[in-house]
Amino acid sequence: MRYCGQGRSFAAPARFHAMATQAQATQSAFQVTLRRIQARGFFSHTLPFWLLLPALLVIAAIQFYPGFYSIWLSLQERQGAVWTFVGLRNFERIFDSAAFRESVGHTVVFLVGYVTVTMLASLVIALLLNRVIKFSGVYITLIFVPWVIADVIAGLVFGLLVVPEYGLFSPILSNPSLFPPKGLSITSDPAPRPWIAGFPFPPAPAMYYLILATAWRALPFVTLLILAALKTVPRELIESARIDGASSFQALRLITLPLILPTLVVALFNLTLGGMNGIGLVFTLTRGGPGTATEVLSFLLYIIGFSRLEFGRAAALSVLIAIINLLLILLILRVSRTEERVQ
Amino acid sequence: MCSSRSNIRKLTASFASFAALSVLIAACAPAQPGAPAQPAAPAQVRDFVTWYQYDDKNEDPKSDERVGNEYLRKTIPQFNEAFKDKWRWINQPQPFDKMDTNLVAAVQAGGDVPDLMQAGDGSLIPLLKNGAIQDLTDWIKAQPWFSDLDSSAVAGCTGPDGKIYCVPVAISPQIVFVWKDHFPNGYPKTPEAFKQAAEALKSKGVYAITFFGSTAFDGEGTTRFTNTLIQSFGGGFDDGQGKMKLDRPENVAAIQFLREIIEAGYVHPLSWEGTSTPFVEEEPMKTAEAASFPTGIFGYRYVNPLKAPNGNEYKKGNEEDMLDAITAGDVFIAPFFAPEGKKPGCGIGVTGFVIPTGAKNPDAAKDYINWIMTKEQNPDWVLGPGGGFPALRSMLPEIETRVPVAKAFYEQAAAAVAASQCRPWYGSLERRDEAKKIIQSTVYKLVKEDPTADISATLKAAEEEYNKGS
Repeated sequence: MRYCGQGRSFAAPARFHAMATQAQATQSAFQVTLRRIQARGFFSHTLPFWLLLPALLVIAAIQFYPGFYSIWLSLQERQGAVWTFVGLRNFERIFDSAAFRESVGHTVVFLVGYVTVTMLASLVIALLLNRVIKFSGVYITLIFVPWVIADVIAGLVFGLLVVPEYGLFSPILSNPSLFPPKGLSITSDPAPRPWIAGFPFPPAPAMYYLILATAWRALPFVTLLILAALKTVPRELIESARIDGASSFQALRLITLPLILPTLVVALFNLTLGGMNGIGLVFTLTRGGPGTATEVLSFLLYIIGFSRLEFGRAAALSVLIAIINLLLILLILRVSRTEERVQ
Repeated sequence: MCSSRSNIRKLTASFASFAALSVLIAACAPAQPGAPAQPAAPAQVRDFVTWYQYDDKNEDPKSDERVGNEYLRKTIPQFNEAFKDKWRWINQPQPFDKMDTNLVAAVQAGGDVPDLMQAGDGSLIPLLKNGAIQDLTDWIKAQPWFSDLDSSAVAGCTGPDGKIYCVPVAISPQIVFVWKDHFPNGYPKTPEAFKQAAEALKSKGVYAITFFGSTAFDGEGTTRFTNTLIQSFGGGFDDGQGKMKLDRPENVAAIQFLREIIEAGYVHPLSWEGTSTPFVEEEPMKTAEAASFPTGIFGYRYVNPLKAPNGNEYKKGNEEDMLDAITAGDVFIAPFFAPEGKKPGCGIGVTGFVIPTGAKNPDAAKDYINWIMTKEQNPDWVLGPGGGFPALRSMLPEIETRVPVAKAFYEQAAAAVAASQCRPWYGSLERRDEAKKIIQSTVYKLVKEDPTADISATLKAAEEEYNKGS
């Protein structure tokens, strides 16, 4: 297109004007279309975010907000109609409390027992199921029965089994020849004298029973995890090892377990967090008793918050439990990474 | 073709995410107001909402709260008839051990609170601390029946600031229910006499006593047998100044006595089973396997049906069983025993009503309270939900006249209370829930978990635990 200043008449021919107008219109349309395409590209690139947004909002509402609110609450005390800031006083009162120290001891005993029993039993069962045996499908189905029963129901049923007057296990437990000298009462026998002052070990019979009931509930999930991991272990490796003279136990210890270690770590996470935070079975089976023999931290939290209505102190305890959970998880991760490096 | 399919997919995905977002926002949006209400009739009846631990819709004859359930079933229509142009009573049953928690949660969350809630003096401090109940001082003092209230009942409803926060309707002292055939010469008056009688009963295969000995319900046993025993030996839980004082010779003697009777086999084993099976300690009393049962006077509502040692059965399955057994002479009520020179101890509690903070119809609650305090209604409430003596002193003869089967019961209970020194278990302690848990856990440790532990040192550690938080 020639400019007017290049010796052409100022009044350009009409067709050039029309062409310029059309070009301008085309350019505008082009720019609009380009912007539309760019917008669609932006939208399509960020589509995953928009699709995830509702779930993120829900998680923010039911996890982040209560979490931050609990931290705020742990620094407050209710006085009449208002909350009053008391700093770390709630934490001090918890650490000073003998009930808290005793509860930590019970929780340690419970966690160690529950995790050990569940992991060992799950591993054995998974190894057995990993073999090609008849009716393995039936066994797998039966193993899942505890998983579909709610904690509360499991606690009630386990409790009924040991009621002194009519429990199914009571005639066996109360037999003095089997449990000298006076038989055994899960619901009322106290713990023996502690081996170490201040640490509740050995625990009361009720704690053993609680560990058993909780392990029974957790068994299916952990068994499934380990079984799935075992299926990924190459059979050739095991066969080669056997050909080279390794025993079954050596093959298990040196080949199978290292290969399924990540899965075991996941199972350990799951069991640890579930054991620290679960209250359903404690609530319905022992209610922290007899005495305070099974009063684990989660139950103590319930007592302080919902029985005594001391919300500030309860929030402080919940923050402490969250910190303990985090430390446990970090410890497990560290140990598992060390194991992997050693291998 | 490919790009148009891709466009359709993108469009569909966009639409789906938009729809999901819209649903979420709609769910979070405040509720839209409903259609405008029809113009109100001249006498608009409003809902009067109460929280009781009873359920008028529960007709199960084996329900633990059958007495209270039946009471509400009978009384709600009466109230609605009496206030038919004004209030319509709707009861929302709450579990007794969660009522306080639920009320505090409702008040603090700004949710729907009832207009009136049944409550006892044990709930006063936690509810007050959480700002969940209204100050009723001016209103209650202006009522015509206020001067007729027992002063100890009013004291039970008075907060540390001197204001009145609840309306007492019934007083529940701790007494002992006794099978006559097992103690034909009356209930022992001293610990030594008790041991002698218990030894004779043991030879017949009968336990001398059953009681709430477990740590269930966060130490509830403190308010029952534990307090009765400790007070009977001249002991107590506080120093009168708000601090816990457990380590004293009288308390040590009481716990030593308890160790001895457990060791001797005089205490029914179910006394300790309450954490796994709530209130199971009542069962031996129902079947006369245990000869006596120290508990609150309200026990008559729960300890049924009964089978006496002589074979007589009382099997209506309601409060009348115990009243009938007392009238027939198979059961009698006695004060607890005490060492020479001391008076039997007896805890005392108050039951009544509170008006929650934020109640929509406090006038309905006040109308209801005034209605309950009448001669026509008060006896039924006291015998039913109250389970004790009337807080209105003039009401006792009225009750005995209207319910002749209760006459013997109240006469004996009054005599037992007169022979005892009855006072609230908590004394000057303010953190009552924490205190009762510490006390009951400590006693349980000393008598069940470690019967050889040093009593004085353990009691000292327990009181220091409580006092640290003061």
